[in-house]
Amino acid sequence: MTGDTHDHAHDDHRPIREDDDELLTEGEARFLALKGLLIDQGVISADEIRARLEFNERGSSHQAARMIARAWVDPDYKARMLADTKAAALEMGIETTEAKLVTIENTPERHNMVVCTLCSCYPRSLLGEPPAFYVSKAYRSRAVREPRKVLREFGVEIPEQVDIAVHDSNADFRYVVMPMRPAGTDRMSEEELAALITRDCVVGCALPPGTELAD
Amino acid sequence: MTDKLTTDIGGDPAGPIPMEDHDQLFWEKQMIATFNLLQTKKIVATDEFRRVVEEMPADYYKNSTFYGRRLDGIVRLLIEKGVIDADALEKRTRAILAAGTRDHV
Amino acid sequence: MSEPAPNYAVGDRVRIVDLRKPGHVRTPTYVREKVGMIERYCGAFENPEERAYGRWGLPRIPLYRVRFGQHDLWPDYDGTPGDVLELEIYDHWLAPAEEARS
Repeated sequence: MTGDTHDHAHDDHRPIREDDDELLTEGEARFLALKGLLIDQGVISADEIRARLEFNERGSSHQAARMIARAWVDPDYKARMLADTKAAALEMGIETTEAKLVTIENTPERHNMVVCTLCSCYPRSLLGEPPAFYVSKAYRSRAVREPRKVLREFGVEIPEQVDIAVHDSNADFRYVVMPMRPAGTDRMSEEELAALITRDCVVGCALPPGTELAD
Repeated sequence: MTDKLTTDIGGDPAGPIPMEDHDQLFWEKQMIATFNLLQTKKIVATDEFRRVVEEMPADYYKNSTFYGRRLDGIVRLLIEKGVIDADALEKRTRAILAAGTRDHV
Repeated sequence: MSEPAPNYAVGDRVRIVDLRKPGHVRTPTYVREKVGMIERYCGAFENPEERAYGRWGLPRIPLYRVRFGQHDLWPDYDGTPGDVLELEIYDHWLAPAEEARS
């Protein structure tokens, strides 16, 4: 059984807003200067920035949760998602830009975790920006070396009967973890199932509530 | 043995994992969008950006923030490629800070 | 340009050679001179070691997903014998596991 003390719920879709209440920092000023130069020089346009920003805002772990929930109820969709995650996303109206997107399935024998030790590779067009923990040096350093201890910090205990596979996404492939469907969810709708799958679940740092591992 | 890259930290000792999330500021979102556009337009390559970050001095890398590195990396790469002029950027940055407002940009 | 043929097959035991190459590489130190197994062939990709310097990164290089036992990577690893780590390694960083080191 697992505890989810550090679990993070879906990002709410907050409206994109100007930071009028934030003080202008050197970093922001430098970026605004850069933006101004690039626009003046015709390298990019303000409209293009706006459009890309809106596209990026669509990324959210809820997109992956919807796909996984469907995979839980529809074995054919699950097979398609495992075979070609980008195409399976597109079936549900989800556009992704990653060159290679792979779904890794948790099983009773094996739990999966994803990290990018060298930088912060993450399937952003699907999931949005990664959590702060994912890009932290502590996670990047420790997830490969002591995954069980790291998971305990997330309130997740993987029993000895279950192996852990850590995936370091150091090349062109981006990974999404498909958690196992918890018992006792037979009557749930796809929407209710999707609500069980949090952002931390799809990198392998949380388990949906009610997940039972081993005896 | 060649020195390890500053980014090559898999397996290094480290402390507790920070769990607190920070909302992206609007300018940070714009910066990511700008970076994505530069990649899509093939003005910069992701591999070049990573290399620039790896070239940052070790002290800087250790003490930098994620978004700070992004911005500094993009700026350095664009200057390296001659897409923007370092002095022009500095002048414009000072002007924006002096004006103290983001209205005009 | 035609796709190069992979030199290794799924199940092959391979050693990650430390090429001691300066500059941009995507082979973390923690797997260098370690022995793992080819888990899958990923296809051929432009070489990021070249692209990092504005070059095209051609010809494409075969890329493999390599699986390591965690106990083979870390002397003090705390976990089950079945715990593994997987990541992608380019062909030129690999040698057959049985081959003597130069």
